[in-house]
Amino acid sequence: MITVDALRYRLLAIDTLAIAPGITSVIGPNGSGKSTLLKLCAGIAEPESGAVLVDSRSPRDAEVGYVNEFPDRNILFSMVKDELASPLRFRHTPCKETDLAIRSCAETLGITRLLDRNMQDLSGGEKILVAFAVACISRPRVIILDECDSHLDADRCAWLEKAFRSSGAAYVIRCTQQMETAAEGDHLIYLEKGRVMHAGTPAAVFSLLSDTPFYPLSWRCPV
Amino acid sequence: MRLVLDHLAAYRPFWSLAADGVFSKGIHLVSGDVGSGKSTLALMMAGLRAPESGIVIPEGITKTMLSFQFPEFHVTGLSVAEECASWGLTPDSVTRLAGINVGNETPALSLSRGELKRLHLACILSRDYDLLLLDEPFSSLDCRGKEQVCRQISKQSRGITVIFTHEQSIFPDITHIWEIMRGELVDCGDMPAAARRWQHAPPLVKNLVSAGRIPFKLTPEGIREAACRIRG
Repeated sequence: MITVDALRYRLLAIDTLAIAPGITSVIGPNGSGKSTLLKLCAGIAEPESGAVLVDSRSPRDAEVGYVNEFPDRNILFSMVKDELASPLRFRHTPCKETDLAIRSCAETLGITRLLDRNMQDLSGGEKILVAFAVACISRPRVIILDECDSHLDADRCAWLEKAFRSSGAAYVIRCTQQMETAAEGDHLIYLEKGRVMHAGTPAAVFSLLSDTPFYPLSWRCPV
Repeated sequence: MRLVLDHLAAYRPFWSLAADGVFSKGIHLVSGDVGSGKSTLALMMAGLRAPESGIVIPEGITKTMLSFQFPEFHVTGLSVAEECASWGLTPDSVTRLAGINVGNETPALSLSRGELKRLHLACILSRDYDLLLLDEPFSSLDCRGKEQVCRQISKQSRGITVIFTHEQSIFPDITHIWEIMRGELVDCGDMPAAARRWQHAPPLVKNLVSAGRIPFKLTPEGIREAACRIRG
């Protein structure tokens, strides 16, 4: 379980929140604290007070893969294959093992054709795919995706959904502005002004948002 | 007023794009897979990237604006007030249009990405352009923000607006649809007939089309009307 207890950090004020294993979507208006919550769960930021724990451990002691909406901010290397190798090289994984992992990860995710490309030559969507592969290559227990679906087409979104479902991660936490995507997760958290207003299954949370634009259009317009 | 793409071609070692077509007044939607060349096409249409062959002919177009996918690429002012001033605008009117509650002296790059996108789009939509090219204008926006921006874009009836996007549910009043298929820009035509030919249509639109309920408009109201329409 990922637990949040008496958390205070910038505008975020969450007294208690428990995130069970599975796919959790975080939604809410711009500036409501979605990305901040994700950064705290990833250990990129630390609470000013209170605690965020992943299976009773600090996120910094847990294995976490994080994908930024703006992958350019996280790119370290010029070549895709070096970028993909970086999490393993940083932990001194033997070269042979790293090469095998790169090949296997790229094949599984269907990005082998990108391996010899320069990162700066990739489209915004392709950078997201590579960033996702980098986050997954060390098989983390937690994968965090910060609105990366906003740069992907419908097929790639479906591909990403399938990829993180088969990644072996116990927890996938993503924030999204696509309500149809949020509806497909196991759990849903709705934030507003730094507070958790609703948390539960997508059906339960969306039923409380039925008079807002956050209610999925496909639920409003069943065909 | 129109923008003519005359046998336009762009190449890279792993990719190519051919585009031929005429963009007239109205709101155009260009969709395509990740890496299909939408942003490159936007750059060529804006005159910021030379095609390898072919030509872009702007007819009657004097003022062009390209909004990049990532709003921070546009930021030149340190604060919200400076950023608005760099567009020749006052911060109060811009933040009101953007629907964001931030102080004028707030550092522009400290805004959440959604707030920054809203600020940036409000600056753009406060001015008049003959050719307005919007690359992924809805990314980072919450549902309310998307609806608000769509309403503002729908009012841009003066010139040519071209939206390059992966958006799946909330659209302005699109008049014409294009898509990039197998390295080529394909003209799907005017709405509503274009909805039938649109291969990259969102699942909800595809479902409506297969059920014989072609939406007259892609706006949320248009989609709702089509979904609730009684067949026959």
